[in-house]
Amino acid sequence: MARTITIDPITRLEGHGKVEIFLDDRGAVQDCFFQIPELRGFERFVVGRPIEELPRIVTRICGVCPASHHMASAKAVDGCFGNQVAPLAHKLRDMYYHAHYIHSHIAHFYALAAPDFVLGPDADPAVRNILGVVAKVGLEIGGKVIRARALAQEIQQILGGRFTHLVWCLPGGVSKGLTAGELEQIKPMVAELASFTTFSLQLFRDVVLGNPGYVDLILHGPYTLDVHNMGLVDADNAPNFYDGQVRVVDYEGREICRYEAKDYAQHVAEHVEPWTYLKFPYLKQRGWKGFKEGPDSSLYCATPLSRLNVADRMATPRAQEAFEEMYATLGGHPCKALLACHWARLVEMVQNAEMLERYCADPEITGTQYRVIPDRVTGEGVGIVEAMRGTLTHHYTCDANAICTSANLIVGTTNNNAPIQMVTKKVAQALIQPGKEPDNGILNMVEMAFRAFDPCYSCATHYLPGQMPLTVAIHKNGSLWRELRR
Amino acid sequence: MRTLLLGMGNPILSDDAIGVRLAAELGRRLPPRPDLDVREECSVGGLNLLDVLTGYQRVIVLDAVKTAAGVPGDVYRFSAGDLGDTLHLTNIHDVNLATALELGHRLGVPLPRPAQVHVFAVEVDDVVTFSERMTPALEAAFPHLADEVLEQVEALLAAGWSGFASRVNP
Repeated sequence: MARTITIDPITRLEGHGKVEIFLDDRGAVQDCFFQIPELRGFERFVVGRPIEELPRIVTRICGVCPASHHMASAKAVDGCFGNQVAPLAHKLRDMYYHAHYIHSHIAHFYALAAPDFVLGPDADPAVRNILGVVAKVGLEIGGKVIRARALAQEIQQILGGRFTHLVWCLPGGVSKGLTAGELEQIKPMVAELASFTTFSLQLFRDVVLGNPGYVDLILHGPYTLDVHNMGLVDADNAPNFYDGQVRVVDYEGREICRYEAKDYAQHVAEHVEPWTYLKFPYLKQRGWKGFKEGPDSSLYCATPLSRLNVADRMATPRAQEAFEEMYATLGGHPCKALLACHWARLVEMVQNAEMLERYCADPEITGTQYRVIPDRVTGEGVGIVEAMRGTLTHHYTCDANAICTSANLIVGTTNNNAPIQMVTKKVAQALIQPGKEPDNGILNMVEMAFRAFDPCYSCATHYLPGQMPLTVAIHKNGSLWRELRR
Repeated sequence: MRTLLLGMGNPILSDDAIGVRLAAELGRRLPPRPDLDVREECSVGGLNLLDVLTGYQRVIVLDAVKTAAGVPGDVYRFSAGDLGDTLHLTNIHDVNLATALELGHRLGVPLPRPAQVHVFAVEVDDVVTFSERMTPALEAAFPHLADEVLEQVEALLAAGWSGFASRVNP
């Protein structure tokens, strides 16, 4: 008798993401759908507004990665004004963005990923959280985590004037520079953050790599996909989070394409399915081929691991060491083990900290030429940055008076929509077997599949309730048969 | 008792603006008090809220809520301590508010106790459409809502901290 299992993240809220697992008569997984809601009307909301206002508006699209939207928007607006940008502004924006990355990655790794590995994927949900992590590893480490977050936030505030709802980036540059005094404030913070990134890597070695079961889960569990990788790289094919070219590499390491932001529409298209509002981006030149893995797949991931998979090297020496260690352990570069996204975040943090060190030592960073006033409107711009959760594209057009006439966004999680569907189904099929009722441990391991992507629900910033208490509703013949919650 | 009045929400996402609108309104109408700070707009959750709440002994949160059978305009009043693990004020990228507060306490961060985080949540309708206007029903109800919440917040401030019982206010 066919049954339906629904993993509904927020049972009291309509329209939020949920996982529905359909079982066949034997109780085996037949199909799986991961549904994410999408905010509506942004394009309509911004049309008719002065284009330079958009970087200030887009920070309110999403409370999770507002700086990513601010940066991508600023670059798109720069394009609308002929890309007349002060070189120092690019440095300052990039510097800010490295601090933002550290701030975000710390929260994801310690609050969301660590509980699965420090306490175990099948640990009691009541303790499988950051409090459980702190109880196990000690208050001292908990204090380090909170302090490191605060430092990364303080650096952002010093650079950009505020942490949320940035109003810093303007057409042609930024609204304030970095004074020598502010730089001296930042330097010791950066040194401490650099030390913290090294500490975090060591913690990962001790806790995760020191447990053969976890290494086996990462490498040989069902958490792998034969789809391609996308990420921004610099001219040396090292990861670049703020700027560069988009590079797509297949899962065996062969480059599929590489393009400038302005050419994104030639390379990425979006497929629509009737059962979800969220679109499914794919490699346009290959055409939509469905939810298929393999060498001919037109699907790609845009994750921290993807960013390292498309890179030939890291941009900084300590990150390079961490990069080499990671891929040596994982069996080579690139890697398809999606749970390695958590490790990739830590490697990225090392580069973020080293780049902050580099900027602190840059004699130009306290310069005063941090903005060029644009003198012409060229009418179109595309800004691409690496949001923490994937490649983020903003594409705007405006009229001769710089009034917005259109906007198109492809956000980080959207890139990963198809892979999230596929890996969730794969994991569900591997773990939910006929005759074996799914328990909370199994449900958490299904959740781990999409948690690796850190999917962004944009609007779920503060709703009540807003966390992700999973509910599994098992239906028989269309009626509720059993419900599990955590 | 150092108190923060906090408006949670997104001012350009239809009804999600209700907490921000109420905080702005109450900020204008409440008599100035040396122990009261008003932060009209806040859209962060989880660990980030620690930074916002640090140093306060009491927090009054104004926010939106969407329940299965709720009527837009209903006001719910409760405290973080009352709701425990069902109060989240966060997203899946972070921890819930109760967890964040507990973590902060264990680490010695000066934060209000969960029972001293008072939440006034207004039932809303549309929180996914970008608009600077709330839905008509909520716009129409706003003056009355503001009066009602103001009255309760004034009473709360006047009484000091007394650990009121949770209740739901239609």
